[in-house]
Amino acid sequence: MEHITKDGLDIILNDRKNTPRTSVCFYFAVDEPEKYSGIYALFAKLLLQGTKTKDAKTLALELEKNCIDVSIKAKQDYLKASFLFLNEDFKLAMQYAKDILLNSTFDELEKEKFKTKAEIKADLDSPRVLASDSFVRGIFRGHCYSNTCSKTLEEIDNVKKDDILDVYNKILNSKKVISIAGDIEDVNELTQYFSDNFDFMKTNDTESKIPVITDFVSKDGNAEIIKVSKANLNQAQLFQGWIVPSIKSDLYPKISVMNNILGASGLSSRLFVELRDKQGLAYTVRSSYEALLKSALFSFYIATEPKNIKKSLDGFIFELTKLAKNPPSQQELQGAKENLTGRLEYFSQTNSQLASMEGYNYLAGLGLNYSAKFIEMINNVSANDVSGAANYLLSKNSLICALAPDEYLNF
Amino acid sequence: MPNYKEKQEINYPYLSKPVSVYTYPNGYRVVIAKKDSHMANISTWVKTGSINENEQNNGVSHFLEHLMFKGTTKYKAGVFDRTLESKGGIINAATWKDYTYYYVTIPKISFDIALHMHADMMVDPLIPEDEVGPSFVFGKEIPEQKRERYVVIEEIRMGKDNNWRKVYSALNDAMYEKHPYKREVIGTGEIIASIPRDEVMRYYETFYSPDNLTTVVVGDFEDDEILEKIEREFKFKDFSNIEKCKSDERIPEVIIKKPAYIEQKTNVNTGYLMLGFLCESAKNLKQTIALDVISIILGEGKSSRLNTRFIEGQKEPYVSQIETCHYQFKDGDNFFIEANFDSDKKELFIDELKDELCKLANISGDELKKAKKRAKVNFAQEAETVSDIADSIGYYMSVCDDLDPAQRYLLTLDEIDEKYLCEFAQKYLNPSVCSISVLLPEGDK
Repeated sequence: MEHITKDGLDIILNDRKNTPRTSVCFYFAVDEPEKYSGIYALFAKLLLQGTKTKDAKTLALELEKNCIDVSIKAKQDYLKASFLFLNEDFKLAMQYAKDILLNSTFDELEKEKFKTKAEIKADLDSPRVLASDSFVRGIFRGHCYSNTCSKTLEEIDNVKKDDILDVYNKILNSKKVISIAGDIEDVNELTQYFSDNFDFMKTNDTESKIPVITDFVSKDGNAEIIKVSKANLNQAQLFQGWIVPSIKSDLYPKISVMNNILGASGLSSRLFVELRDKQGLAYTVRSSYEALLKSALFSFYIATEPKNIKKSLDGFIFELTKLAKNPPSQQELQGAKENLTGRLEYFSQTNSQLASMEGYNYLAGLGLNYSAKFIEMINNVSANDVSGAANYLLSKNSLICALAPDEYLNF
Repeated sequence: MPNYKEKQEINYPYLSKPVSVYTYPNGYRVVIAKKDSHMANISTWVKTGSINENEQNNGVSHFLEHLMFKGTTKYKAGVFDRTLESKGGIINAATWKDYTYYYVTIPKISFDIALHMHADMMVDPLIPEDEVGPSFVFGKEIPEQKRERYVVIEEIRMGKDNNWRKVYSALNDAMYEKHPYKREVIGTGEIIASIPRDEVMRYYETFYSPDNLTTVVVGDFEDDEILEKIEREFKFKDFSNIEKCKSDERIPEVIIKKPAYIEQKTNVNTGYLMLGFLCESAKNLKQTIALDVISIILGEGKSSRLNTRFIEGQKEPYVSQIETCHYQFKDGDNFFIEANFDSDKKELFIDELKDELCKLANISGDELKKAKKRAKVNFAQEAETVSDIADSIGYYMSVCDDLDPAQRYLLTLDEIDEKYLCEFAQKYLNPSVCSISVLLPEGDK
């Protein structure tokens, strides 16, 4: 991997020989809370709805005719425009990238609002999505990380074209990085090309104004419960989560290992073995640790027969407490570390995955070769650190969100 | 020296070296594909799935897939998962209509242990009674020991809460008259709750014979080194004397004989629609590729016909998402259009969809050129990771019985012209031979 700064551009290059497609990701930091929930996602959609010289239909047709795959996504802390194309189409793909990022008209705002609302309504038909939406909205309440699709549905009608232009202005003036993975023939030529054509990608040394959030403020003691009633369901959807320190904290590698042991390693995690294999409570049960820039969320999830809600919640806490009281064996600890390392490799096999991961790491201020640093940090985690992380969770307030038919919500 | 009977080399598109297919005297096949990667993949594909089931054992292929992970003579339940995941492996399995497969993707450095344990699992599963869990009457009894039986029942429950699954299941049932494809791969709660452990074992002994298995290895290896290890580890038992499970009679059904319309209602916000066709076997390469191409023209990307007509070309679209889907099967492919739509516009939507299908009588040269390039890129995409390559090879070996179609894919794609596509569409994707399944919000008329 190579990091090049040229004429104000930050470029990360991953040279992968003999790969037929190149991935280029343009990353932009999102530095401020959204004025309306979902406005950055709406902005991202509008970037593919026509430029000054090409209407949406022409743009889509030309991109697809050339098999240039474009995906523009807004997340809580960044916006990413990814282009994936055959190596020989490099310059053509980058011409489209430049046109999209510089010349979009945002004229189709009302239509995109209409489409977005219909898509959200369909998404919220899924019990898991509905429960997850209520859970995230609840645990981050009062903070922009609580901007979920249901909140977007409530606020999207307020968005005006000036709001979109304001977002665009902020994006253009934010911290940026271009991350490339592919069969790179000439590094100098490539960086010169970007310098000549993408001066709007010059990075700015901005600081995120999104507030840090370190704790979940429970309305109801140690574990607040949100109950969502939905009739005629065969399974309850259950989340329990804690707000925890994020990626730059000393706790990050410790929570990562703890998460792996509890419920993220695959078929051998403790939750999987105890709640699924031994008790038959679920087909899907897991833990997850989602690190955002200003906060992070550790959570348990299970989809279970509605009458098992209490048993499942008890199972979560039982496993967490067990780990807090008894550090994992050296064998289990080492297994978790190797699992995390293997997963890192597994999920960076394609150029698209690699460009995406390296670009984000750099934008988030984690530096270059963060994967190697992460593995080093993981390898320094001790069994007591893992118990410490579990104790940390137990000392904090949590939020439970249960979605089930009404008659099963008296737990 | 390896003991295979026959070796075939296949020039697999987008791989730098030919893929080798080795056939052993007992019919067992090994495929080795080279890929320069830190990761390696081993998978074994069994030519069985719901295609070999009947009314009494529907779901047994999938249940067995779960139970294969429950220990062998050498390793107790859980050791396989724990050992390989603690070496960075991603392990799992899946069951579909024509095949069941088991895979490990793992850093190359740990490949030997992966091969050893994967082979052990494939040839010596114990299926212990206490891991299966006691049988019970579904819906009336709750067993004290909820083991793997109950896990699968939870998986069935999960499917029942999935709106697309509801629409697909109803459509799939309606599209076929008698063929075993009519049934759900996952089976029913009643069967899974009651099927005896010995029946599951008998199913294994019937269908997991060497001539029904293909092991695929993808990674940076020498063939002889891999073959030697496979021959050492895959010690097949002889099940020739057991009483075999009976499968339902299979008469391939191509083109729906009794087109049906199925409507269900539940507590959803939006309408769900699937429209389906039955086509020729996936072994008919030219026709399968024709479906790939038509699928791209109709439903892949914003500039596809369906997206343009129903979403991108509308000021206030009544369809929020629409796409096409092509499932390839041994006894005949499926082609679907699926969409979320404003349920008030149901009749209009169905009429317009049928109208769009009729328009397949005209396909322009530009459209075809664009779709062909996309089909090539899709194929290239399947050669990016060791697991994608293994999945693609495993599919061809299980559904088409041969890897040659992969080698001929791009050449055959080039042979397809507008006339062929239009004639194909008129015969197989004619609106008069489709079935339709919709799910609507409760309270809708």
